[in-house]
Amino acid sequence: MAILEVKNLKKIYTTRFGGNQVQALADVSFSVEPGEYVAIMGESGSGKTTLLNILAALDKPTVGEVVLDGKKLTAIKEKEISAFRRENLGFVFQDFNLLDNFSLQDNILLPLVLSGCTYAEMNSALQPLAAKLGIVDILSKFPYEVSGGQKQRAAVARALITEPKLVLADEPTGALDSRAADGLLNLFAQINREGQTILMVTHSVKAASHAGRVLFIKDGRVFHQIYRGTCSNDELFRKISDTLTIISTGGGSDE
Amino acid sequence: MNKLFYPKLAANNIRKNAKTYVPYIITSIITVAVFYIMRSLSQNEGIKEMKGAGDVQYVMNLGCIVVAIFALIFLFYTNSFLMKRRKREFGLFNILGMEKRHISCVIGFETLYIVLLSLVGGMIFGVALDKLMYLIIAKIVGEDAPFGFYISPDSMIITALLFAVTYFLIYLNSLRQIHLSKPIELLKSLNTGEREPKAKWFIAILGLVCLGVGYYMSITTQDPISALLKFFFAVILVIIGTYLLFTAGSITLLKLLKKNKRYYYKTKHFLSISSMLYRMKQNAVGLANICVLSTMVLVMLSSTTSLMVGFEDSMNTRYPHEIDVQIQHEENTEAMAESKDELYDSINELISNDDSLKLTNEIRYSYYSLAFLQSGNEFLTADDDVYNLVPTVDLSDITCFIFFTAEQYNEFSGNKAELSDGEVLIYSCNDDFNLDSFSLLDNEYRVKELVPDFVGDDFETVANIYKTEFVVMNENDYNKLYEDQKSMDTHSLMQTYFGYDFEGSDEAKREIYHEIISLISNGSTSDEVGFTAYAESKIEGRESMYPMIAGFFFLGAFLGILFTIATILIIYYKQISEGYEDKERYEIMQKVGVSRREIKSSISSQILTVFFLPLITAGLHTAVAFPIIRRLLMIFSLTNVPLMITVTALCFVAFAILYVIIYSITARSYYRIVSK
Repeated sequence: MAILEVKNLKKIYTTRFGGNQVQALADVSFSVEPGEYVAIMGESGSGKTTLLNILAALDKPTVGEVVLDGKKLTAIKEKEISAFRRENLGFVFQDFNLLDNFSLQDNILLPLVLSGCTYAEMNSALQPLAAKLGIVDILSKFPYEVSGGQKQRAAVARALITEPKLVLADEPTGALDSRAADGLLNLFAQINREGQTILMVTHSVKAASHAGRVLFIKDGRVFHQIYRGTCSNDELFRKISDTLTIISTGGGSDE
Repeated sequence: MNKLFYPKLAANNIRKNAKTYVPYIITSIITVAVFYIMRSLSQNEGIKEMKGAGDVQYVMNLGCIVVAIFALIFLFYTNSFLMKRRKREFGLFNILGMEKRHISCVIGFETLYIVLLSLVGGMIFGVALDKLMYLIIAKIVGEDAPFGFYISPDSMIITALLFAVTYFLIYLNSLRQIHLSKPIELLKSLNTGEREPKAKWFIAILGLVCLGVGYYMSITTQDPISALLKFFFAVILVIIGTYLLFTAGSITLLKLLKKNKRYYYKTKHFLSISSMLYRMKQNAVGLANICVLSTMVLVMLSSTTSLMVGFEDSMNTRYPHEIDVQIQHEENTEAMAESKDELYDSINELISNDDSLKLTNEIRYSYYSLAFLQSGNEFLTADDDVYNLVPTVDLSDITCFIFFTAEQYNEFSGNKAELSDGEVLIYSCNDDFNLDSFSLLDNEYRVKELVPDFVGDDFETVANIYKTEFVVMNENDYNKLYEDQKSMDTHSLMQTYFGYDFEGSDEAKREIYHEIISLISNGSTSDEVGFTAYAESKIEGRESMYPMIAGFFFLGAFLGILFTIATILIIYYKQISEGYEDKERYEIMQKVGVSRREIKSSISSQILTVFFLPLITAGLHTAVAFPIIRRLLMIFSLTNVPLMITVTALCFVAFAILYVIIYSITARSYYRIVSK
């Protein structure tokens, strides 16, 4: 059974003074199987961010529904939504979103503290994870004392510490230099191999080429998708580039 | 570039930053107005002609100095605050191609606008309120004020100069900040996270010690005379202690809490402890400011209001009778007694001849008093080389004895006490006298009885300052001890007191007082009779005291209002600036799964601590300051402790209510910023 099912999502924003209506998502449907690594690509304004916000339960669709592990996101009560998000989803953001007033360790432990774990439980979850991500030495540092790549690793650790069903990544390499970006992508590939389901929204062809499947969104619809199959990263990279060229040269949607 | 570009840009900047600039300008206007009013009142010709005007104007002059110092410090403080918020804006100007000198030019215009606005606004307010204050003072003193507005050009010039110089200094400080920084720093200045401060044990303990010593001084000081100096030291110590404790102590405490992993890693504590710790360095000074200002307001308001409300009371303590005549003489002879009787008779004749007055009460007694230093059941005098025997002399060890004859005692009390040689009766006024026998100047005395009451309230003023024992002895002992003590360096004179109470008009009372004065040739010793006599009148005493007390009350209320406004402003700025800083953090928290409810409870627990810590500390300071203030107010003969407690408590409640209102207003604007 699919871990995430997205059915006929439609999102219409009404501008502030009730004038124009803007359609961000027209009709998006797809599903993600457990253990998959899916990249979603699209130009600016294609509806990527709206989609991600709906998946993250930060926003509600106008029509359609999202089912995570058999549970409808729209049916969850407002009171429980934060706890639900904390326990089932892990987030990695472009600009890290680490809190300056917490050390890296405390940033990583934040979701567990909110869930009311004991310190012993937290520590036993933290140690192996920090070792895997190579941040054991810098745990006691503060975000403004470490590099971008290290910050993003800490953010990944924060996303993984609750053992979420799904990791949502929003342009995770966007603020990193190419070396740090490579490191992060390898890390994602590694945790995916260990069974973690990942859904990543990105502009970067390079980042997308690490995924198992790439979805293309245009004008609020899923326009196309590519499966990796047996391709290497480089081959997938080429395929993605070709697809993007077609989209941008006006291949148009198939309406 | 257009010549008008900079002035326009400057005006625009102020308009855009209205949220932070409007309160700043309002405070500035109020400060100008208060200074102008104080200065103008201290120069006011009309007040100069009133009775006791010297005291009022002296007090106002003092107030001027306080306001000037306050204006300088406070305006500097708030301006640095505004500049910090605006550095980003200046950075942007710089990057867009404005040179630093252009920015300086813009800031110059801004400062100029603020000075002009504050001065014009402040003067208008000042002139309007000045008249009102003048009317109030005239009303209090009981004289008429002339019509029309009184404008003091001299005070205007001084006010304008003071604030022009203050703002010029502020401008220079802003320039310094702009010139020292690089554009990129200006742009980022808001985002540079403050480093987590280190725990400073030493400073925290030093703060505790300062506070402890200050508190100890306040609680243990007994006599009003040394209280004045000690109060000053205690205030300084407590202020230093407050700053040290808020800065170092709070950080050390939070660090300790953070170290305790069980406590720290709880949802409730996790968010608030870390964010408080994160900003404590700048937070702490602000909190200490609020605390010190609040304490000042409370102490000032409560003591001046107590004086004002308790004025009648303190007059009754100071002057137990409408008119009293006090006679002092050294020789205790028959001739002396006769001439005193003569004086007594002629005063009585004077009073009984006055038809407009009806004598309701009269009292006459003689006594002498000696002060001793108690050491066991011995009492030492200065001649005994007390400083060698008792190394630390505190005024609270001094016991004042007031001696009466048994004859007088029987007359007052209606008892028929018979005392043989060496037997005494003791009335212990404020101290539990517990000796069965004691010796004075080598005379042994045995306490026959402790009696419950004595000459009414006549000795209350003395009794409140020193431990006081009234000693009743027979004529023989009374005269012997008097002769014995004559050889001392600090010997006492024989005192005789006549007290009179009347029914009648104030005018009549005044008249008889002046007649008595001329009769006794006030204060001068005549060789003929060999004694000094002087008279006091409650009415005249009240008239000379009232303006000063009213002046104090005025000053207290004035400065109280000014400091309260300053407190409000500091709180407001704190919340606004922290709101902007916290906004991003709360957004992040929501994204990573902190619910709105958790955020809200974290915010309220932080705001609650940040807000009510200074208020509670200020309350504590005021409570501890109460004993020493009580002693100080004794100088003004205010001894009504329940009244003072009530007034102080009411002041605190009023201030706390105001504080809660400010809290809810600023907390709301904080939520609005954070949740936008």
